Amino acid sequence: MPGQVVVTGLGIVSPIGIGVSEFWKAALAGHSGISTITSFEPFSMDGYRSKVAGQVRGFSPERYLDSVQAERVDRYAQFALVAAKEALADSGLQMAREDPRRVGVIVGAGMGGMVMGEREITQLYQHQRPHRVHPNFIPVITLNSASGIVAMAHGAKGPNYTVSTACSSSAHALGQAMQCIREGRADVVITVGADASITPLVFAGFCSLRALSTKYNDQPERASRPFDRLRDGFVMGEGAGALVLESSVHAKKRRARIYAEVAGYAATSEAYHMVIPREDGEEIATTMRLAMADAGLTPANIDYINAHATSTTIGDAVETKALRQVFRTRADKLAINATKSLVGHTLGAAGAIGGIATVLAIHTGQIHPTANYEEPDPACALRGLSSSVQERKVKAALLNAFGFGSNNAAVVIKRYAA
Amino acid sequence: MSDRAVTEKIIQALADYLRRNPESIDPKHHLRDDLGLDSMAVIELLYKIEEAFDIQIPDEDLVRLSTVGAVCQYVEHRLAPAKRPAARSRAAKSRKKN
Repeated sequence: MPGQVVVTGLGIVSPIGIGVSEFWKAALAGHSGISTITSFEPFSMDGYRSKVAGQVRGFSPERYLDSVQAERVDRYAQFALVAAKEALADSGLQMAREDPRRVGVIVGAGMGGMVMGEREITQLYQHQRPHRVHPNFIPVITLNSASGIVAMAHGAKGPNYTVSTACSSSAHALGQAMQCIREGRADVVITVGADASITPLVFAGFCSLRALSTKYNDQPERASRPFDRLRDGFVMGEGAGALVLESSVHAKKRRARIYAEVAGYAATSEAYHMVIPREDGEEIATTMRLAMADAGLTPANIDYINAHATSTTIGDAVETKALRQVFRTRADKLAINATKSLVGHTLGAAGAIGGIATVLAIHTGQIHPTANYEEPDPACALRGLSSSVQERKVKAALLNAFGFGSNNAAVVIKRYAA
Repeated sequence: MSDRAVTEKIIQALADYLRRNPESIDPKHHLRDDLGLDSMAVIELLYKIEEAFDIQIPDEDLVRLSTVGAVCQYVEHRLAPAKRPAARSRAAKSRKKN
């Protein structure tokens, strides 16, 4: 019997810090990791409507990874490797003592290896020299390059795959990892979310979708403002989050520290529209209800919501509607925050980074601020939102994540009780 | 380009997009309520209009563009400074404000 599924290790690469302690300190201080994109070498930002993003500054892969490993993968997979390495060290898991076939890796990634992808495509079309396409192009842009390289780095021979559902990718990865352990297919799953696609083409694409904030190009730290009345779109971010998920039996056997339990998960489709959520919020409400039922909980058990909240006008209002449908009057008693207010929307990494914030809220009793939550919007009126830290003993929390392609995910994370 | 030519070109673009007769499209038509365009379809339409008239439409102007007539007037206004020097300073001022 695998028992419960618990979290025993955390690792992160984010615009507000590389490493969990740096990230959490900045998160509790409500620091914004959003800054101006100075240029996309070799051209300027003049033609871009949005000019701000949550970029990971000062990341030198060589500092964390051996050079061959670092060179062979794209930036998002480098982030994944660094976050996974930290999470494994944090968990105290010794791979030499494990049956490698019982350790899996599941990664959520929305865009994948776009840095190299764009570079190689540009060069091919510019110079028309097909023989100069880099031999690593295919392995790098294949969307499971991160799940592959993380397994190779640690000799993890268990289930290994990538979930790609746009902005909800790593929330689904967490859910899939939980199911994998519940079903007894692995004792441990290194669960990662990673994306790094603040690249000239992808950024232009999001600008053309008119999904990004454009009003705060001169005040980048104010641009990501989920639930605030003056929000005007999301801010692209990049990064990776890693969580070591493990069966409680296995964790207890090796006397591991347990941060929290991953207790429930739901995956649904709105079957509605590629990029627009259903305005009544019903599908999101259903997803949250299914996740709670999977965890054997009811709305009365939930204390905290780590919202998807990307800072778009429609998205945040729809999520609020859904929360009202599910929690009714209790919606105002919940603590709610938006991790994207700090780091921007890290796409495929968002679920894992939000998951880390959720686990740490349960572990420390502190809910990080929602940065730039200054003027409540009547369409998003929820009392549990705050631009300050909230001290709260969280017993159970919901992590929301919704993705293009009309898909929704919700994960229940709760305090672990043996 | 005359205002009428702008309107005709926009209605034609809409007709092509919606695969319907241009004569069935009226400037009073609401893009969403009458023509059934969702927000993504409006963005796609504006993308075509930007190309056709060589203009860039900032995100904050989208909220005004709810009817066919509003889109036509907006494009006419945006094209106006080039042919009417008096309008240029006004347009420049409003751009700066944005």
